[in-house]
Amino acid sequence: MDKIYEQTMLFDFYGELLTEHQRSVYEDAVYRDMSLGEIAEERGISRQGVHDLIKRCDRILQDYESKLHLVERFARAKKTVAEIERLTLCAERPEETGAEAGEKADGMELRKMQESLQAVRRLSHELLKEL
Amino acid sequence: MAVKIRLRRMGQKKAPFYRIIVADSRSPRDGKFIEEIGTYDPSTDPSTFKINEELAKKWLANGAQPTETVGKLFKAAGIEK
Repeated sequence: MDKIYEQTMLFDFYGELLTEHQRSVYEDAVYRDMSLGEIAEERGISRQGVHDLIKRCDRILQDYESKLHLVERFARAKKTVAEIERLTLCAERPEETGAEAGEKADGMELRKMQESLQAVRRLSHELLKEL
Repeated sequence: MAVKIRLRRMGQKKAPFYRIIVADSRSPRDGKFIEEIGTYDPSTDPSTFKINEELAKKWLANGAQPTETVGKLFKAAGIEK
C-alpha cells in the first residue's frame, strides 16, 4: 500500500534529476493518483508507453537511492529526532513518564532526568555522524 | 460526468500526506474537487488514514470510481460498496 509514499519520497529527493517530461508524467501518477489510461489519453501516447516510462522512472530513482541513500538517511534522522523529543519530554516531566509513583520521588526523578539527557546526547552524536 | 475518488498529494516537500477526494475525472490537474472524504498519512509508522465512511459509501453508491490505491484504503477501512 505504501508504494505511493515510497515513490513520492524518492521523487521529492531526486525528481529534479529526471527529464521534464518524465517529471510531468510521474507527477500525474504519484501526486495526482492518475491511472495509466488517463495519463495516456491526455497526452496522446499509449498506455504501454506510460507504463514503461513510470517503471523506468521508478528504476532511475531507486538507482539514485541505492547510491546516495538520502531517503533512508532522512527517515533515520527523523526517527532519531522523534526519540530525542520524547526523551526531552521525559526529562522535563519525569513524573508523567515514570512508572513508580510517589515514595522515593526526588532522587529517582533526578536520576531519570540525567539518564534521559545522556541518551539525548548519545542520539545527537549519532545524528551528527550520519551527516 | 465520470466521477473519481482519488488521492491528492498535500504537505511540504519530504513530508507528504494525501487527501482522499471526489472529483470530476476530467479535472485531475486544475485543483478542483467536489468533496474531500478523508486523509491518508503514510509517514507515520504504521500509516494512518481517516475516511468519512458515510460519504465514501454515498459516492460509491452513486457510481464514483475509486483509483486502485483508494480502493485498497477502502478495503483496509472495511468499506465495501
